[in-house]
Amino acid sequence: MTSSPLSPPTSHLPLEGVRILDLTMVWAGPSATRLLADMGAEVIKVESARSWDMLRSLHFLSGSPPGWYDKAAYFNHNNRNKYGITLDLQSARGRELALQLVAKSDIVFENYRADVIGKLGLDYPDLRAAKEDIILVSMPSHGKSGPEKGNVAYGTNVEQLAGLASLSGYPGMGPHKSPIAYGDPNAGAIAAAAALAALIHRSETGEGQHIEVAQWEAMIGNVGEFVLAWQMHAAATPHADIDAWSEEQRIGNRHRSRVQGVYACAAEDEWVAVSIGSDAEFGELCNVIGQPDLAWDARFADVVSRRRHHDEFDAIVAAWTGSRSQDEAARELQAAGVSAAPVLKIQKLLRDDNLRARGFWETVAHPAAGEWDMEGPVWRMSRTPGHVRMPAPMFGQHTDWVLGELLGLSAEEIAALETEGVTAREPNAGVHS
Amino acid sequence: MTAPLSTLRILDLTSGISGPWCTKLLADYGADVIKVESPGVGDESRAHGPFPEGLPHREKSALYLWLNTSKRSVTLDITTPTGRDLVLRLAAGCDAVVLDQRASELDRLRLTHDDFAAVNPRIVTTSVTAFGQSGPYADWSAANLTSYATGGQHYLTGDADREPLQNGGYQALYQAGTWAFGATLAAIWDARKTGVGQQAEVAGQEVMAAILEIYLPDFAYRKAEALLSRRGNMSTAVVGIYPVIDGHIGIHAMPKNWPQLLDALDMHWMAEDERFVDNRARLRNDDDLMAQMYIWTSGVTKGEAYERGGRFRAPISPVNTMADLLASKHLAERKSFREIAHSAAGTMRYPGPPARMPTSPPEVSPAPTLGQHNKEVFTDLLNLSPQDLVRLSAAGVV
Repeated sequence: MTSSPLSPPTSHLPLEGVRILDLTMVWAGPSATRLLADMGAEVIKVESARSWDMLRSLHFLSGSPPGWYDKAAYFNHNNRNKYGITLDLQSARGRELALQLVAKSDIVFENYRADVIGKLGLDYPDLRAAKEDIILVSMPSHGKSGPEKGNVAYGTNVEQLAGLASLSGYPGMGPHKSPIAYGDPNAGAIAAAAALAALIHRSETGEGQHIEVAQWEAMIGNVGEFVLAWQMHAAATPHADIDAWSEEQRIGNRHRSRVQGVYACAAEDEWVAVSIGSDAEFGELCNVIGQPDLAWDARFADVVSRRRHHDEFDAIVAAWTGSRSQDEAARELQAAGVSAAPVLKIQKLLRDDNLRARGFWETVAHPAAGEWDMEGPVWRMSRTPGHVRMPAPMFGQHTDWVLGELLGLSAEEIAALETEGVTAREPNAGVHS
Repeated sequence: MTAPLSTLRILDLTSGISGPWCTKLLADYGADVIKVESPGVGDESRAHGPFPEGLPHREKSALYLWLNTSKRSVTLDITTPTGRDLVLRLAAGCDAVVLDQRASELDRLRLTHDDFAAVNPRIVTTSVTAFGQSGPYADWSAANLTSYATGGQHYLTGDADREPLQNGGYQALYQAGTWAFGATLAAIWDARKTGVGQQAEVAGQEVMAAILEIYLPDFAYRKAEALLSRRGNMSTAVVGIYPVIDGHIGIHAMPKNWPQLLDALDMHWMAEDERFVDNRARLRNDDDLMAQMYIWTSGVTKGEAYERGGRFRAPISPVNTMADLLASKHLAERKSFREIAHSAAGTMRYPGPPARMPTSPPEVSPAPTLGQHNKEVFTDLLNLSPQDLVRLSAAGVV
């Protein structure tokens, strides 16, 4: 490692010394704590025999039992760099130990339905009694107040509630869903950032706080310009029709002020995205596809004309891409400064030149699940780069260590907890079947 | 109570969506964000619209108004030596500078991390671009479409028998901005502890590739390709979007939600039917289940379906329109929107903060007019005289 006065050699990570008690499961909460774990926070994930992360039951390696719950792809992906313990929070002793951990933590994350944390006796006042300046991050889908606070929603529901689904779709067709449960990672990235803002605030004021990330609200901002645009339209248009207006917003791969689309390439179901902003960019496109005269064609003279003749534009581009691979098409266009890119299948994403060259993929070895590639930390720090330091925890893997080292329990006490059912070696399989 | 980020000052050299969304989040939580715009033109989103009555006006673009609340705007031509010098002088007093230019452009402008660190060793430079500051695509031209395409989600979105579909608005650009917001704070936290800044880099392609849910891990881990095709609006009969009498609803029932779903549908007979007796059977008989779902959905409104979902705790939601959001009783009671009055664009309801922090400012100021804060920023922060300002203005720098 090189050294200069401005960037001394370092092996530390930004969040070293920050401890997080993680009561979250599935994706939204775990994606937030994963971001912080990647930056060096000590994240302790809590499960129990009767309340364990559902992702342990999905997509495990074939022929997995016994120990199937340690071999699920999705769980192991979302929980790298975390420690895992078991504690039955519904038992008095489990709650008491959880509060002892709170007393030694900086941040607690939970993504239960709005009323659950209170029923467990682990709401913000309870946590504050254990640690005055604790930061609690709650991530209920609908928030903790309002008439719909008891509703249940997953990430796909969140994009529907927030209005994004009403704006997504092929032209002339109905609303379309994202393939992923988009509400989850969106709320997770917001929650992680809010927790950091609270840490900064605490360092200056000594105060903790209770942050509420209602996943529904956390996504409305991603379509904020449409919220304003509809108000502008409604103010200017007597009897404005929201359904007609929403349909006009569903423009598929098109854009308000560019001409663009995805175009079929030579191979079956292979596509390249092409997006033209300026007149100069259009001129370069015409040169690359061997039709320089088109740059002077009245149909394409400026952006308004190009948008009016969008279908003809599409046909011209598709005629050129149709005899090429997506990589050839993208590279030829980019060499001339034209925005273009392959529409990558997952299989190709893992081999993509850019991601490979940037060292995006890291090989992870898991004691029960073997080796595979996953993305490294997306927050790329030049001086304190994060990496996958540990694979996801096996069920209850660090229970003994956390209770013994952190809380100072004796081996006998730890053994008794298992006998009492407060901790567990295996999840109850019946919970998620 | 002080706002959570009230001690931060941020210099914003970005334009469009990703960078401005990142700095809007910082500003709405209390940071003093100084937005640098090009003289006479300003942020590209000022030309984007939509505009009231469809009439283009650089102070009335919905996209600009939304993405630039709480900021101060100064105009500076950063391509001139004087402009660059003023940028560095502003950066000397900042915690972070947010940039969305490609690496080659920052080299040309001599505004790399090292240039900023030379005047302020504690400074964080946040880079938010489509493909990153290194790698073979670092110089590629980009748009939301290209980040969506190269992040893997595009290929999976849409119908199997049609072209891949981009989802609504500019989600790849927004995500990059959200992630840059967090990365900036993590680097500032570190800089405050160590006294040394660094570059925090976020690439849109990498953000999108990191939020592929089960699709990436399942393939990377099991080499299973079963999930890697477009499956339209229906992942399964109980995870998808259905038409109802007055619009659409979404359902997302995991195995553990099945009893509640039957309560909401009032179709308890399905619990006894061997085709639907457990999750495995339901997946095998997905078409039959979908047929039953259509029978129910075709007879309800959005409101009725949502009410039953709420009452029985089944994951059913309306596909809300913008009008639905603004009329929602739930969001009204939670004060999820805040009214903001803008001198040119008038008063509208803007979405509130994505995370509620008890110390975040309840009111935020409207997006600035172009160069609105030139005088106060250049005189108060840089001690320029009124004569200096006149001279810089005449030279086209400000």
